[in-house]
Amino acid sequence: MNTVHGSRAALVGAVLLLASGCAAAGGYSVTSVGPPRPLREVLPNGVVLIAQEHRASDVVAVQLWMRMGGRDEASDELGLAHYIEHMIFKGTPTHPPGSVDRLIEGFGGTSNAFTSYDATHYDFVVPAEHLRATIELLGDLATNASFPPDEIESEKKVVFEEMNLVEDDPDRFLVRRLYEVAYSPHPYGRPILGTHEFIERLRRDQLLAFYGKHFVSRSMVVVVVGAVTPAEARAAVTPVFGRIPPRAAGRSELSPPPTLDRNRRVDVPRPEKQAYLGLAWKTAPTGDEDIYPVDLLTYILGDSPSSRLNQEVREQQRLVSSIEAGYGAWQKAGLVTVNARLDAENSEKAEAAILDVIRKVRETGVTEAERQRAIITAESSYAFDIETAEGLAKAYGQAETTWTLADEIAYLGRLRQISAAQIQAVARKYLGDDNYARVRFVPAGAPR
Amino acid sequence: MTPGVRRPAVLGLGGLLAAGVLTAPSAAVAQLRHEQLDNGLTVIVRENPVAPVVAVSLLVKMGTRWEQPATAGIANFVHAVMVKGTAKRSGAELAEAVAALGGKISATGEVDYSEIRASSLARFWRDLLGLVAELAFEPTLRTDDVDRERDWLLSRIQKRRDNAPSRAFDAFYAALYGSHPYALPALGTPESLARIDHAAIVAAYRAGYRPERMVLAVSGQVAASEVLAEARRRFGGMARAGAGVDPPVPAPIASAGRIELEMPAQQSQILTGSLAPGLDHPDHAAVKVLSTILGGGMAGRLFAELRDKQGLAYTATSYYDPVREPGALVLYLGTAPENAQQAEAALLAEVDRVRRDPVSAEELTRAKGYLLGRYAMDRRTNERLAWYLAFYEIEGQPRDFPERYRRAVETVSTADILRVAQRYLGALTTVVVRAR
Repeated sequence: MNTVHGSRAALVGAVLLLASGCAAAGGYSVTSVGPPRPLREVLPNGVVLIAQEHRASDVVAVQLWMRMGGRDEASDELGLAHYIEHMIFKGTPTHPPGSVDRLIEGFGGTSNAFTSYDATHYDFVVPAEHLRATIELLGDLATNASFPPDEIESEKKVVFEEMNLVEDDPDRFLVRRLYEVAYSPHPYGRPILGTHEFIERLRRDQLLAFYGKHFVSRSMVVVVVGAVTPAEARAAVTPVFGRIPPRAAGRSELSPPPTLDRNRRVDVPRPEKQAYLGLAWKTAPTGDEDIYPVDLLTYILGDSPSSRLNQEVREQQRLVSSIEAGYGAWQKAGLVTVNARLDAENSEKAEAAILDVIRKVRETGVTEAERQRAIITAESSYAFDIETAEGLAKAYGQAETTWTLADEIAYLGRLRQISAAQIQAVARKYLGDDNYARVRFVPAGAPR
Repeated sequence: MTPGVRRPAVLGLGGLLAAGVLTAPSAAVAQLRHEQLDNGLTVIVRENPVAPVVAVSLLVKMGTRWEQPATAGIANFVHAVMVKGTAKRSGAELAEAVAALGGKISATGEVDYSEIRASSLARFWRDLLGLVAELAFEPTLRTDDVDRERDWLLSRIQKRRDNAPSRAFDAFYAALYGSHPYALPALGTPESLARIDHAAIVAAYRAGYRPERMVLAVSGQVAASEVLAEARRRFGGMARAGAGVDPPVPAPIASAGRIELEMPAQQSQILTGSLAPGLDHPDHAAVKVLSTILGGGMAGRLFAELRDKQGLAYTATSYYDPVREPGALVLYLGTAPENAQQAEAALLAEVDRVRRDPVSAEELTRAKGYLLGRYAMDRRTNERLAWYLAFYEIEGQPRDFPERYRRAVETVSTADILRVAQRYLGALTTVVVRAR
């Protein structure tokens, strides 16, 4: 998830995968050993299969990625995509409620799922001997989910609790609000968990309609990575996913969100004693050549204790207790965010100091040492992500649904070729003095 | 969720002892290289080409097992001070140096060993080994760092005492193990830490960090022959110091009674259990399966019966970690205070049932699948792979332990479960921490 480093903007819930696309790749060019390229095959009905052997252990990661997410909801049905994610695990006619989790657990495996704006994915990790059974389960869930009425009702409490958890966690909630303020009313500014009002009234027919429209062959990507050969993966996947009738969802086109200006500023009263400051600049979307220098720029600005924002704003000026930068890239837009914890009275000064740090990058650029360090950090983040079968599967699934597999595989190689001048150029292009959104969390009772 | 983290929260007895034993992928066995250096230090390398990363685990025979009430926590204390600086750089500079390799480094004292662990991008493996050697052989151990770290450790002990589950587990192990050192908390006690001074830290470091007491394991995208050569250079220079004489360890005598404590908390904690075989005992695999039948995940009896069916607990699980000396089989419930009494009775009823009625073939099969699946799941990263290699070696286990263990689990029968349940779950030690 290298696009969202530092602040890990992606942590807006296990549900909200803010990191899309440029989640790295490659790394193999530096060493002679390394995994082979993945198998990529499009079945006759449009389902894409990606498979790779990865023998770090005896397990296999099986993931279903859907070209569907929060952005595909109508503006009066916010939270539908995420709710479907929950309901899928409630089973099918042949897998009654409760049996899905137990089946996977009985294998000693794990299951998980994530809903994002551009894509949604369902993940299993199981011992390799259970590959077939897991693919069959996944195929059943993807086509025969039964949405039991009583489960729909009881799951509402679980989703409300999830909403409360996000709101209770100031770091997560700050990122949530920042995306909202930066993008609203564009779909990227919507709450993935949805609105309380809509979920309360949510009906089974709405779920069935959305599921029926989007869970179709041309939206599906099946990724199998682990202690199995591509041929074994293919033999397991093809009979199950190959028999799904060919259909496309007819996904609507999404326009890019508007540019940012001084009007996108919000102050939020909060119960914490600590104040929070979040700034966001609109930058490159996935598929844009600028993602590479923007990624490196974000590391240099705010990834580690030695980063510029940490050194200047935290260490030297002591205006914040923590500060970090993150980059979330999406199909239609990217956002570079800077988040800080601080005392409320330092808010104006800290904002000015952050802008100074960025201005200095625009004017005098970054050093070669900083560039190299950022590349090592990016490589390391990627390398530890793909160390596990599920990490590599995720990188592939994300690339296939929101970017391209080829770009993913070439990512690190391209990153290494970016010069210090190119990093300075994107700072000039995107990170201005007034083209950013801002959210401040103000402790209740503090002067505003 | 890693099964088997024995004491919840920070740095428990066996915090790293997680899921026991794993089965190595058969293809990987051939990629393992072992060597004992001339000074007695053992090196193990596993070539794992899947990702351009490397992990190092350096285990040393020092930990709770070698401590007494007066020295409780000293192994962990030593490591807290070690990471504050070496002859070549400060703690912050060390962190910065390893970050420049795209990596990280840390050190802790555990129950049967202490560990320095580090990882980085694979192409920097040489520099990483150098930093691990520097931390192991050239720590400064400054007097003011001893005082600063003592304060920090005391605050962690306090935090642990304020946490109901941690408090319950500490009380349980104290009651279960009696005068055996496994009764002691790995963090130590305020009384022991107050007595441990700079001289004691230096002496404990010297007694532990001897090549004969150390195992170095490396796993990652590396060439084993190159790593072995570099390990000889970096770790082979330290002179033999003798393995040292370990003091005799008193046999554990469980109090087999019931202890009730009270503290401000949202939930009541109920722990019951007994002494169980160590990891090289012939009954180890059968007790692992028994523990899984009772507390392994959502289908485990405690979760299915006490949580799902009867709604008597939020948390319902079991712990049985592999350790050298007698282990502990612990059944654990976290419950609403008003349900505590009923939950405890229901828990004891489950113990009675498993000692009386044979488990079904289906339940046995599920438990084995869950157990072995979890082993494979816990072996996915190089950090864990390196740790497992070093762990079995330092525990004196045969190198094909994972394969033997898998076979042992697979052959456990219904009769074995009944036999070990009757043998080990007879005299129970129970600790209840009531919320007030």
